[in-house]
Amino acid sequence: MQTIQKILLEFEPKVENLLPALKKTSATFGYVSEEDAQKIAGYFSIPQSKVFETASFYDLVKTKKQPQILIQVCSSANCAVNNSFEIIREIENSFKIKAEEISCLGKCGEGPIMIVNGKIYEKVNLSKLRDILEEYL
Amino acid sequence: MKDIKIITEHWGKIDPLKIEDYLGVGGYEALGKFISKMKPEEVVEEIKKSGLCGRGGAGFSTGNKLESVANNPKAEKYFICNLEESEPGTYKDRLIVDNNPHLLLEGIIISALSIGAKRAYIYINGNFEKQKEILERAIEQAKEKKYWGENILGSEYNLEIEIFSGAGAYICGEETALINSIKGNRGEPKYRPPYPTQAGLFGCPTAVNNAETISNIPWIILQGGKEYAKIGAKNSPGTKLFILSGAVKNPGVYEAPTGITVKELIEEYAGGIQKGKEFWFAQIGGACGKLFLEKELDAKLNFSVGTGRDLSVQMGSGSILVVDKSVNIHDLLISWTDFFRRESCGKCVPCREGTFRLWEIAKRFRDNKISDRDKEAVKDILWTLNNTTFCPLGKFSATAFQDAVEKLKIWK
Ligand SMILES: Cc1cc2nc3c(=O)[nH]c(=O)nc-3n(C[C@H](O)[C@H](O)[C@H](O)COP(=O)(O)O)c2cc1C
Ligand code: SF4
Repeated sequence: MQTIQKILLEFEPKVENLLPALKKTSATFGYVSEEDAQKIAGYFSIPQSKVFETASFYDLVKTKKQPQILIQVCSSANCAVNNSFEIIREIENSFKIKAEEISCLGKCGEGPIMIVNGKIYEKVNLSKLRDILEEYL
Repeated sequence: MKDIKIITEHWGKIDPLKIEDYLGVGGYEALGKFISKMKPEEVVEEIKKSGLCGRGGAGFSTGNKLESVANNPKAEKYFICNLEESEPGTYKDRLIVDNNPHLLLEGIIISALSIGAKRAYIYINGNFEKQKEILERAIEQAKEKKYWGENILGSEYNLEIEIFSGAGAYICGEETALINSIKGNRGEPKYRPPYPTQAGLFGCPTAVNNAETISNIPWIILQGGKEYAKIGAKNSPGTKLFILSGAVKNPGVYEAPTGITVKELIEEYAGGIQKGKEFWFAQIGGACGKLFLEKELDAKLNFSVGTGRDLSVQMGSGSILVVDKSVNIHDLLISWTDFFRRESCGKCVPCREGTFRLWEIAKRFRDNKISDRDKEAVKDILWTLNNTTFCPLGKFSATAFQDAVEKLKIWK
């Protein structure tokens, strides 16, 4: 089983490794908990406040427990002109889930882009949406 | 000239996972030439002659940047390849890695050695997992061939290369924020001067260059700066990757000489407007780009809006989003304003507050609840963003909204 100690041992305790360690922790456990932050702080010999200062800045590092189904939809201009807002509205109206709007992932040729629990879906439209979400509900 | 391809020459024809394929088309010959025949100063001189300027948006002279780091007497120096690329609608650097990672790597090695750096970082967007793997593989293959590491190709040169993966923050494309993020800090920009070329990563002189910029360097070394300077627009020569999207027939990434007009790109490269759609405006340069109406499409795409009489336009990242009349402008306004609200790093008040207020007003506009007071406030907010923010992100956040008010006349 993966533990915070094992993760930390993959990194040398240098400042350049703080962000990579935070990302790995968040990806493994879903978020960086206060307990884990304390261990990270100890390992890198920095205050816990510094750990959260950095962690709270980045989208790929979560500092709160995430919902069981996390739906993210790109709302940047290229996806927006391809109707991503229609998809966001449909998720809210028909599935009663609030989708998180995210910034461009550089997959503009394949938009609209939706991510469910980390899995990326391309060229999403209203009929595909139903099929995709039914897998999770 | 129109057909000259520097970056995309071998795309689709070689296997990006095989170094042999790249070697088969003359890959790493520029590195060989540098090691056997050129001094670092000569490389910098050649790049200066080429007139190459930064493809990351600002268009700063690459030769001058490398020279100022090279001339710095400090022993420890760094080279950073900027592969953050989170400008909405921009995915050209990503495609360079997808199609020809060794071209980029060769450029990185030559640039780093030319400034005397012993260590080069590739700062890659945290979402580019596949590209990170491609690069890791390329780096490994290049090491086996002794293109980097100790005693490169039997010479005295040493270089370490490391990939640093970002964590999802648009502002980390800005060079000082990027450096902060490598150091394990919040990715907030720093006051300049000192510029990174004077005091960058770990306080050492650092050159940060965009991935596309760097990919031009092997060609310049082999063909010479003078040849490069002949391509495209005089004041910012070379080719550029343009990303066309929206209501065009063939969306995608195209390499074209600088100085080309927006109209030519849309008509001749992207196949024109899709059937049944009517052109409304084009946004050039991503979320921070200006809006262009039909009558302005003859503008030439440059990096420096010179003194010439020609209408020219700063191309920024090179993305061109063609918007047709069926698009709901409310969605776009929310998209722009919400993007900057989310991505504002929060360091300075005008940007943190201004981007938030613009987003609120965009929502009220969508819900038909906009008041005259809001419209007045927008003028103040845009002025404040344009004139008082700490870094360019704040200023960018006003551009599209301002054009929507002035050119699209959204208030009527
Ligand atoms: C908000 C903001 C975002 C930026 N994002 C990027 C980016 O994603 N990639 C990039 O190469 N440059 C980006 N830049 C420009 C960099 O600060 C820097 O000028 C550039 O990497 C220098 O390389 P170049 O001279 O080769 O263009 C950004 C600048 C700002 C202000
Ligand atoms: S302008 Fe915005 S992004 Fe730039 S420093 Fe200020 S708050 Fe941060």
